[in-house]
Amino acid sequence: MAPPAASQRYPSPSQPSGKSEVSDLKTQLRQLAGSRAPGVDDSKRDLYKKVISYMTIGIDVSSVFGEMVMCSATSDIVLKKMCYLYVGNYAKGNPDLSLLTINFLQRDCKDEDPMIRGLALRSLCSLRVPNLVEYLVGPLGSGLKDNNSYVRTIAVTGVLKLYHISPSTCIDADFPPTLKSLMLHDSDAQVVANCLSALQEIWSLEASHSEEACREKESLLSKPVIYYFLNRIKDFNEWAQCLILELAVKYVPSDSNDIFDIMNLLEDRLQHANGAVVLATVKVFLQLTLSMTDVHQQVYERIKSPLLTLVSSGSPEQSYAILSHLHLLVVRAPFIFAADYKHFYCQYNEPSYVKKLKLEMLTAVANESNTYEIVTELCEYAANVDIAIARESIRAVGKIALQQYDVNAIVDRLLQFLEMEKDYVTAETLVLVKDLLRKYPQWSHDCISVVGSISSKNIQEPKGKAALIWMLGEYAQDMSDAPYILENLIENWEEEHSAEVRLHLLTAAMKCFFKRAPETQKALGIALAAGVADFHQDVHDRALFYYRVLQYDVHVAERVVSPPKQAVSVFADTQSSEIKDRIFDEFNSLSVIYQKPSYMFTDKEHRGPFEFSDELGNISITPEASSDIVPAQQYEANDKDLLLGIDEKDDNKGLSSNNGSAYSAPSLENSSNITSQMQELAISGPATSATTPQSSFGFDDLLGLGLSTAPAPTPTPPLLKLNPRAALDPGAFQQKWRQLPLSLTQECSVNPQGIAALTVPQSLIRHMQSHSIHCIASGGQSPNFKFFFFAQKESEPSNYLAECIINTSSAKAQIKVKADEQSTSQAFTTVFETALSKFGMP
Amino acid sequence: MPVAASAIYFLNLRGDVLINRTYRDDVGGNMVDAFRTHIMQTKELGNCPVRQIGGCSFVYMRISNVYIVIVVSSNANVACGFKFVVEAVALFKSYFGGAFDEDAIRNNFVLIYELLDEIMDFGYPQNLSPEILKLYITQEGVRSPFSSKPKDKPVPNATLQVTGAVGWRREGLAYKKNEVFLDIVESVNLLMSSKGNVLRCDVTGKVLMKCFLSGMPDLKLGLNDKIGLEKESEMKSRPAKSGKTIELDDVTFHQCVNLTRFNSEKTVSFVPPDGEFELMKYRITEGVNLPFRVLPTIKELGRTRMEVNVKVKSVFGAKMFALGVVVKIPVPKQTAKTNFQVTTGRAKYNPSIDCLVWKIRKFPGQTESTLSAEIELISTMGEKKSWTRPPIQMEFQVPMFTASGLRVRFLKVQRFDFYTLDSTILSKIQCRVFKSLCN
Repeated sequence: MAPPAASQRYPSPSQPSGKSEVSDLKTQLRQLAGSRAPGVDDSKRDLYKKVISYMTIGIDVSSVFGEMVMCSATSDIVLKKMCYLYVGNYAKGNPDLSLLTINFLQRDCKDEDPMIRGLALRSLCSLRVPNLVEYLVGPLGSGLKDNNSYVRTIAVTGVLKLYHISPSTCIDADFPPTLKSLMLHDSDAQVVANCLSALQEIWSLEASHSEEACREKESLLSKPVIYYFLNRIKDFNEWAQCLILELAVKYVPSDSNDIFDIMNLLEDRLQHANGAVVLATVKVFLQLTLSMTDVHQQVYERIKSPLLTLVSSGSPEQSYAILSHLHLLVVRAPFIFAADYKHFYCQYNEPSYVKKLKLEMLTAVANESNTYEIVTELCEYAANVDIAIARESIRAVGKIALQQYDVNAIVDRLLQFLEMEKDYVTAETLVLVKDLLRKYPQWSHDCISVVGSISSKNIQEPKGKAALIWMLGEYAQDMSDAPYILENLIENWEEEHSAEVRLHLLTAAMKCFFKRAPETQKALGIALAAGVADFHQDVHDRALFYYRVLQYDVHVAERVVSPPKQAVSVFADTQSSEIKDRIFDEFNSLSVIYQKPSYMFTDKEHRGPFEFSDELGNISITPEASSDIVPAQQYEANDKDLLLGIDEKDDNKGLSSNNGSAYSAPSLENSSNITSQMQELAISGPATSATTPQSSFGFDDLLGLGLSTAPAPTPTPPLLKLNPRAALDPGAFQQKWRQLPLSLTQECSVNPQGIAALTVPQSLIRHMQSHSIHCIASGGQSPNFKFFFFAQKESEPSNYLAECIINTSSAKAQIKVKADEQSTSQAFTTVFETALSKFGMP
Repeated sequence: MPVAASAIYFLNLRGDVLINRTYRDDVGGNMVDAFRTHIMQTKELGNCPVRQIGGCSFVYMRISNVYIVIVVSSNANVACGFKFVVEAVALFKSYFGGAFDEDAIRNNFVLIYELLDEIMDFGYPQNLSPEILKLYITQEGVRSPFSSKPKDKPVPNATLQVTGAVGWRREGLAYKKNEVFLDIVESVNLLMSSKGNVLRCDVTGKVLMKCFLSGMPDLKLGLNDKIGLEKESEMKSRPAKSGKTIELDDVTFHQCVNLTRFNSEKTVSFVPPDGEFELMKYRITEGVNLPFRVLPTIKELGRTRMEVNVKVKSVFGAKMFALGVVVKIPVPKQTAKTNFQVTTGRAKYNPSIDCLVWKIRKFPGQTESTLSAEIELISTMGEKKSWTRPPIQMEFQVPMFTASGLRVRFLKVQRFDFYTLDSTILSKIQCRVFKSLCN
């Protein structure tokens, strides 16, 4: 078609609202409606095109609905398509008018041309007007029986559309069983594929309230059905193959032969040109072999090269999607990819999001044999024009340094960065050097001599400055002019805009004072005075606290502010293994890209800027937190530090092993972690003596993963003795949870005190731990919390697994128990319930 | 749900909607505004091609001057989403004849609406093969069959074909002249030290084909790759011929290739789609044979002058020659004036890409040619911004030469039922090199 004059009617958004044009169109259409003159179709087409183009740019043309429908009595298929498009767009807003269209759509559904039959049926189902559903059932029914496969494919999707408009009509018309038989018997691959997607959607939505749908959903995963699909997977197009592979992931194979059969069937899919098919196959392989450790390793080896090929071909966006998955695998099994590190080198023309991922992967695969080369490569990037990437690569060097035992060479490199004399490089490097010193104090001599020569005037970034100041305070005895540099900085107190830097100045002045009192006394005095007068709440509070504690007793002050340092031995992992496993389970989906499990971004309550609100929620319930301080710290928390990294929950491990000195480490202010804030407040607030209990509380709170640190002595449970130090890794838990049959389901109520105490999942986790029931995963927010617990028998390695869903508004808990020994599951449930009932009791 | 796209948007660079199609009701109509305010108008744009705003995820891609955005509300399959966009664009291109940009969309919006309806239904991708879709969605629009007798209708046939087993090829093709063209295009990524040692080198290659064959031919392609040759000699129980074999790190194939047969017999056999397509992609890291040596020297003479010397040496056989050699030598942004001399070809300064572009039409083997340039820079007031020397790029075609050494040994048409093959032309084999330099 494309009439030559098309460009004249070029729609432009600068056009007026189009009212006069629309009424023009209306009259023109009306004139044409009755006409049977030859060539009338062509003029209709032009008009229709105009209408559609107005519609596209957002002008409301719904007022010509009637005329459009009148003109639709045509035999021109292009005209029909445009009309269908128009009707589909406006029917929802004009349910009454759409009644007009039913007639001609129904007539078209009986057309002799399968093309028109299909198109009409599709439009009919796309009207999405609830009171018209009665007209859908008939055409859909005949569409499913149509002898043309094109019509059938459309009818199958039509059923799904009907289900979304009115589930009951769809079920009452008995469509799902029809689809099922079509799925198993139709000769056409696309029909079968659409049946599968429709049935999966319908049954999983129905499953929540229908036993039968639940059974049907399970039956899709039965061995005959799975093999029916897998055996003819080559007949399907690439998209349908993805669908089938996704189904196969959920299949639980009966034995190892079954597993190998499926893998043999699917092996050639790894060579497919469509990255989505390859990823789906990879997922099947990985999930199938979870229980077989050595085969699982072989799978990694096998999938490595197809994935690397996919990364190097296609658009950057596609390689990004693949790389994100590769990233997940690399982080899970870095040793397998250690030899392939060169594939993760950045290329000049790659976009920064790809580079960023590659840098993370390089960090992950670094080991003793390849560190030197990786660090050399990373150092090249540090001179990159893209500042963000340069920063990332410096951080990557630092991370590798923190991972490795042999940091000698890396320290030299880092110190070389300082000589580059670029503001951002220096700032990043200082932060890293500070982190390194916290872990390897033995390097202080080398570092300090270089750091000491840096003029603080050259550093603009607060983080870098803070790191430098921290080092000045910490190593005041080794740097001859430390007090004078500090004094200089303190004199310029007013010009220092960052509260973070001012906080560090205070602490550093204190530390310096304990080591070299005569030289620092004056500066400290100025600093405290300026601090107390500071408008920033944190700075003010800290200055006041330091002042009072000095007044009380200098030695106590020294013990509080500058206790003997311990090296940080364990740094926080970026994410808890529970979350990582969940992401792994959701391989080949958005979760991997976002690096968080799906419930975090698809659940309603997690949507939006959830991290922020989440934290605020927590804060309001911690009695120690005074709310006027917290928002300020929240503000500071924006910029995250390397050590306490991207991580949200676990960093207290690092902090608490650093114990006393942790609070003065610069990283603290950057942590968004609530407990560290509590520690901070406990120290800087009036309740000084609480330091130790607070930190151990925080330790407990944040572990929350069922690590065997349960402090409280186990009260002897009735009947069943549980091992208080039970351990089970999340992978094994998942495996078991999937394999074991459900032995018990129970509902019980939770006492009101318990509900009151259950504001965060951690409170219950701690409580249950004291009863030797350990939590492996938890999630949710008020009013719904979900927990996975496990426990082990005292004497033998027999496991109990439990899922517990607590609804705080109805004060009910639903417990599902699975056990290695079915016979004792009742006893365990009793223990569990008893423990739960004591929750919240003093 | 593996992939259920809720909507697809086509936006221009300003953020105006060119075309949108909503497949599901689970996203609001204002989603595109969210995309505009939170992604297009912020620095986020180049940062990540997948973003989440208010419960919906946006999977987007920029192709020429158009943003294609897929909106999903569930935990969708991203790789599938991107692949869908790429395939859809390929489909549109085959309809518009090459170009895909804002104007092409505006001029063809009715057609695009038709196609969007066919390639995705309720968020699930359907058939995206241009070969099949062109049968029943044509730019002229299929005239209604009412005027003609039902027997003459091509349409039912077409709709049957939509879902047929060989989805990429329609039946009943007939050509007077049956032709097959095959190209091997390799892109070489190379990192050299300043002394000229190769630090890293890898090749990503594609085998591109153009088929104009009648009926349903079954083709078989033989390459000189190691596994294939070994398997062949094993099957024929005779020792493998000596000669260079290539070890492919990994291969992926077009959906037309029978993968089962490849796995068991290591032969590439396929029923080709009609017209142009990418048969396979491969990756090689070992034993890469470079056709050229590039030796650059860059001297910075003070603040405002630079001297660039690039020597290009061809190291392939003296009887062969390279065609269309283009060397792109990056220069700093603040270049004001350039003076150069070349021994062969022509050179030009292209300010829009900050490169000296040196073109040589024909470059015989075992020869060398040099470019020496003097560059004057605008003196800047502030501190001299460091210039991170980007890699030198080179493009060329060497007939019958590949960097990897991959050769086509044979291309057989298995089913000679009703025609004979007129010509199997192994046309150019091109090579594209990205050269990266250590300072």
